[in-house]
Amino acid sequence: MKSTTISLKNANFIKNTKSINQRSQLSSFLMVLPQTIGFFLFTAYPLFWAIRFALYNYTGVVTDTYFIGLQNFVKIFTVDIKYWSALLNTFLFASLKTGMEIPFALVLAVLLNQGLKGSGFYRSMFYLPNIISIAIIGVIFSNMFGYFGVVNSIFIKYGIISSPIDWFSTKPKAMIVLLLASVWNSFGINVMYFLAALQNVPNELYECAKLDGAGRFTMFHKITVPMIAPVFKIILMLSIIGSLNTNDLILVITGGGPAGKTHTVLSFIVKNFVPGFADAKVNIGYGCATAVLTAIIFGIITVIYNKLSSKLSDIY
Amino acid sequence: MKREKIFLIIILYVVLTVIVLFTLFPVFYTISGSFKTNSEIMAHPESILPIKPTLNNYTTAWKSTDFNIGLLLWNSTYYTLIIVASTILFSSMAGYSFARGYFKGQKLLLTLFSITMFINLGTITVYPFFKILNFLHLGKSLWGLIVVRIFSVGIVNIYLVRGYVNSLPKELDEAAQIDGCGFISIFFKIIAPLLLPIMATIGILSFQGSWNDYLMPTIFTISNPSQRTLIVAITALKSTGSAASAWNLMLAGSVIAILPVLVAYAVGNRYFISGLTSGALKG
Repeated sequence: MKSTTISLKNANFIKNTKSINQRSQLSSFLMVLPQTIGFFLFTAYPLFWAIRFALYNYTGVVTDTYFIGLQNFVKIFTVDIKYWSALLNTFLFASLKTGMEIPFALVLAVLLNQGLKGSGFYRSMFYLPNIISIAIIGVIFSNMFGYFGVVNSIFIKYGIISSPIDWFSTKPKAMIVLLLASVWNSFGINVMYFLAALQNVPNELYECAKLDGAGRFTMFHKITVPMIAPVFKIILMLSIIGSLNTNDLILVITGGGPAGKTHTVLSFIVKNFVPGFADAKVNIGYGCATAVLTAIIFGIITVIYNKLSSKLSDIY
Repeated sequence: MKREKIFLIIILYVVLTVIVLFTLFPVFYTISGSFKTNSEIMAHPESILPIKPTLNNYTTAWKSTDFNIGLLLWNSTYYTLIIVASTILFSSMAGYSFARGYFKGQKLLLTLFSITMFINLGTITVYPFFKILNFLHLGKSLWGLIVVRIFSVGIVNIYLVRGYVNSLPKELDEAAQIDGCGFISIFFKIIAPLLLPIMATIGILSFQGSWNDYLMPTIFTISNPSQRTLIVAITALKSTGSAASAWNLMLAGSVIAILPVLVAYAVGNRYFISGLTSGALKG
């Protein structure tokens, strides 16, 4: 009975406001108008533009622009070794980086979650590198790992090496610097995420387990891990996606060198097809094809990851 | 048992402190290096504190014509401020509209906006950007990029505001409506003042993002060095041939570039953290 009166009231209300409904629809829409314009101009249009020109030979010159179907893609798949080696290197970089920073961040978060005094201070210090511009981080690490840099001179001082290392002369050494800079930049954010997750685990669970005589490791294994598993999935995904998308760090520190071997796929695209980094005349159409293909590959990785991780969560 | 526990805690502190020292070292080293002469940077990198501290790098940078810090700072400042202000305003408006408003196609629009999170063609899209901006006679300039950034969809921010507005009691709007406020004036008179905490979060995140921005400002100012932002100019010094002779300028510039975000972090620490955790894990 009561519910009918309420709904009647509601109907009445709607009737009364119908005249201003039109106006309020318009105001609602006006408030999202700026971003709607932005969406069509700077998201949708560029997307379709890039997909369209991926099917063109397009160097920016009108007379040199013509439809070539899937030929750009055929070329990527058949001849372009550099693209695939950049892609492989991206996977290498992403797996090494994620493999380093996630366990490290988890351990730090667990340590900080012990209720120590001053853990807030440590937490903010760990996060500090994350607020610094990637470009500046690039400059700082280039300086520190330079031939006459502080790392070499400290290593020599303590007898670890006898002569300075040229960190940017070979791929493995350059990758070490890139990984260190990248992990330094972002491990703090993962510490934050893990801490937030750990603090959401109800304390009663630990208290009960303690009463049952469970040890620290049993509690970690049986309570902490399953409780943070859903968030862990997200943190891991963010880390993987973030490291797959690394590009400015590489552009600043190595510029892809030596001989383009440290490029990730995104820095490869920028270096080869984007004004200011690439040569003056490039095949933009081909660049669009590499960008579209990369977006598809990253999309597939995300889907696979979600499938796999939901299977994993069945186990837990 | 008790002694063992104290021992463990001491070890814990030592481990954490060592890691903090390693974390802070690059920042500290940069600050210290900015007070060294260029020859000292090259010859004695291992001395943690400058042997003969000098302010020369800062004065040189201030007077230099190709690395005109005053101009660079000004460019960075207006670039950042305009983007921060417009991001706060437009994200709040959109978040409020998606939470409380209704118009035909609203759901579809939010879905479309959300897709922007997943589809990203990267930097190749500067070509279509240039096309549109040329049409608006803005072309390749910092102002062109500002226009792109003002209108770009900040979907995470929209969700942050939408969540926040949803947590406010609806009676507020209804009371204002009875008093004769329209949808838009309810926002500006009633809701917007209540959104200050979430606006601070969004503001600080977008401040950090735009102040630190490197790739896009570089591309947009390639033909206009006078429009470069600080970050772009410091990095450009590195890629020029005379890089080795400019470390002092680069380090001094880096310190100046880091300082504003550092201050913002010191003051608004909790907003950084709340934006981070609510944006990624709850939204």
